[in-house]
Amino acid sequence: MPPKKIEPKKPEPKKPEPKKDAAPAAKPAPPPEPLPEPPKEPDFDPKSVAIEFSTDQIEEFKEAFTLFDRTPTGEMKITYAQCGDVMRALGQNPTNADVLKVLGKPRPEDMSIKMLDFETFLPMLQHISRAKNQGNFEDFVEGLRVFDKEGNGTIMGAELRHVLATLGERMTEDEVDRLMAGQEDANGCINYTSFVKHILSGYIYMVHFFSS
Amino acid sequence: MPLRHVPDVPFCCFSAIRAALLIQRWYRQYVARLEMRRRCTWNIFQSIEYAGEQDQIKLYHFFGFLMDHFTPASSERNLISHIFRENEVCRDADWERYFCYKDIEVPDSYCGPHLAFPMTFCGVSKLMEAFKLKQQLHARYVLQILGETWRLLRILPNINHVSVCHTKEITICGDLHGQLEDLLLIFYKNGLPSCEKPYVFNGDFVDRGKNSLEILLILFGFLLVYPNEVHLNRGNHEDHIVNLRYGFTKEVLGKYRVHGKKILKLLQKIFSWLPLATVINHKVLVVHGGISDSTDLDMVARMDRHRVREASSSSQIRVPPPPGALADQHLGPGSEEQHPASLPPQPAHRRRPAELLGGGRAEGEAQAGWVRSDLQRSEDIVNLLWSDPMPQNGCISNEVRGGGCYWGPDVTEEVLGKHNLQLLIRSHECKQDGYEFCHNRRVLTIFSASNYYEVGSNRGYQASRTCRELTLRQRSTRSALRALRQQLFVHKSDLVGAFQEFDPNNTGVISLRHWATATERVLKLGLPWRVLRPQLINRAQHGMVDYQQWIRELSITDIMETMYKNHSNLETIFRIIDTDHSGLISFEEFRQTWKLLSSHLKMEISDKAITDLAQSMDFNKDGSIDINEFMEAFRLVDLSTHA
Repeated sequence: MPPKKIEPKKPEPKKPEPKKDAAPAAKPAPPPEPLPEPPKEPDFDPKSVAIEFSTDQIEEFKEAFTLFDRTPTGEMKITYAQCGDVMRALGQNPTNADVLKVLGKPRPEDMSIKMLDFETFLPMLQHISRAKNQGNFEDFVEGLRVFDKEGNGTIMGAELRHVLATLGERMTEDEVDRLMAGQEDANGCINYTSFVKHILSGYIYMVHFFSS
Repeated sequence: MPLRHVPDVPFCCFSAIRAALLIQRWYRQYVARLEMRRRCTWNIFQSIEYAGEQDQIKLYHFFGFLMDHFTPASSERNLISHIFRENEVCRDADWERYFCYKDIEVPDSYCGPHLAFPMTFCGVSKLMEAFKLKQQLHARYVLQILGETWRLLRILPNINHVSVCHTKEITICGDLHGQLEDLLLIFYKNGLPSCEKPYVFNGDFVDRGKNSLEILLILFGFLLVYPNEVHLNRGNHEDHIVNLRYGFTKEVLGKYRVHGKKILKLLQKIFSWLPLATVINHKVLVVHGGISDSTDLDMVARMDRHRVREASSSSQIRVPPPPGALADQHLGPGSEEQHPASLPPQPAHRRRPAELLGGGRAEGEAQAGWVRSDLQRSEDIVNLLWSDPMPQNGCISNEVRGGGCYWGPDVTEEVLGKHNLQLLIRSHECKQDGYEFCHNRRVLTIFSASNYYEVGSNRGYQASRTCRELTLRQRSTRSALRALRQQLFVHKSDLVGAFQEFDPNNTGVISLRHWATATERVLKLGLPWRVLRPQLINRAQHGMVDYQQWIRELSITDIMETMYKNHSNLETIFRIIDTDHSGLISFEEFRQTWKLLSSHLKMEISDKAITDLAQSMDFNKDGSIDINEFMEAFRLVDLSTHA
């Protein structure tokens, strides 16, 4: 792999939008009937979140938060881009969309620049922790059964790779490779029940390691 | 990865998307948890290693204590002068005779590599192949290579000046620390040193890993073959006192039982003759540790670098010479070995690192001119080899390491500006991710041998990394936890004391928060204790920690605990006492050392306890103690409370 050239990323200064002139007053056509809008989800308001974690839990979160702090002077801050990872490291399971929502839907270019401190992070974590429907073993298996053409308990590895890389919150080729390492048999098939156990077992080991 | 034709799959099927989302979420969570575990493991190792370096400070304080408290009349005088006994002043010619390899015969049964001199590229290649096959080079050849290296280094300047023309690149390697695979991997990925491929090896070739000597032999081999293209900088581990603690001395004595002492002595000289820095194209300064606000490269270039044998703060300890000895000492530049003992009789003056950078200078000024420069010289070298950068402006003493300083971005600007340099590349600090810029990208740290840096003037600076995470490979979580549990084990009584402060009613349990506070107060490792707690100690119910149960699970007596706690210091002291590197110390030396150490630590340990201990350590029952056997007793059994 060719060595990467290191250049510090400088944020682009925001250019002010040129103001449009007001349109000349011609007789406006009657506006079309507005389509019914889907019910808009309220933006995330951190102040509205009541913290229910115990003091002990909060202390432990702080320790984990500090582990991810990469500021040179140890300011106890992480970037927006790290927020999802820290939450996951603390046992939560948000989608990337969930994380972006609690972050206030930042722009992509802000993700590695904007920082948050622990006080800002905590209500976000609390909110995420209340999410229901984390998905269990049966959910996984059901989902994968869709791809089981022959109904014999296996799916094609190539199909699964394709799905993970193109649907949902796409994974990169690298991530897919790591996840599927050693899962496909000689014919490129995967027994999806054991595959799901494989994914979940990694999680369980971590739970034992870091919490009681 | 080729996109195979995927048959008719209902991609818009809701459950397919849902399945994908589920798997993706779980995978990302798994990766995040792995990352946290990785950082935890790293923090554990870092903090324990820094604590080990602080131990080194304690050792130097111990020597200072000896100096302050024991007069020539006291009974321990013999031991102390024995500890600090320096060798007689000798000329180089005498040393050459001592180190001569010619009388050492290579038996027919030897199946390692045979070397011919002068050294050639083929010879070094042969050496590398042999080391890959885990063969050992015969002592005769070792001494031969080292002898040639010593001769070469004596004519090299303190600062290597390298010109790299615009079509070439030069590769700079960070700390190797005895890890032969790292060196071989770099050569494999980047190419061997040659006229077309210049290299700078930035110190810390030895200690910790188990192939320190092999690395030195290969590096010296290439140095002999390509003296204009291969450049070695001295690191803080190229120091025989540090080697006593961190494993290199043990490695050499273990591999060369007959000639190990001679090899070590020659290496002592070689280390003191290693250049201190390299400057590339008048633009880039490469040095192992860093700089200080008193760094002046012109002064560094002029000094006699080899007079500072120990490039650590222990060289600041001066021993008053025995009366009458002065007449026999050679003073001035003619003699080869200037020892602390040959200074004019001044009161023993121990200069702590803080003094060196602050008020101590006034006192230094008051001493004789050449004495001052002697101390200043060693301070400069200590700064070059031990300092670390810090984000804030200024320059303060490096209390964590016990030597060198922390220097800020203003000092970088000043020193680089003074010498018209653009960049400072250094190593010395081990961090997780590879290389790191700081001080407005004027300072670059290359962390380990797994990370090397290519400087090509037509392409600008590039940093590349090998793809193996070699620095973490050996550092599994399990060994981190084991090391951490050992720390708890050896600090049992201090920990219990701290716990009991939170438990006035002696219930035997304390809250999780108090447990974390107490543990940090005692161990001072700055680790995430709550996160680690499940691996270290069982929890009682309701968020409380049952510390008395933990005590019951450990069994260790007080004297044993003291020994465990100080075992690395003990080993270093023993090895210093064992000046002829025989691996044995006498009963009496053992007893006296232990007594001294315990009085320094303000511990009450009876003579009888020490004698009993000594006798139990005399495994051969011959009245002397084998240091290696003694230290074996300290290898703690893995506590199996948590597998």
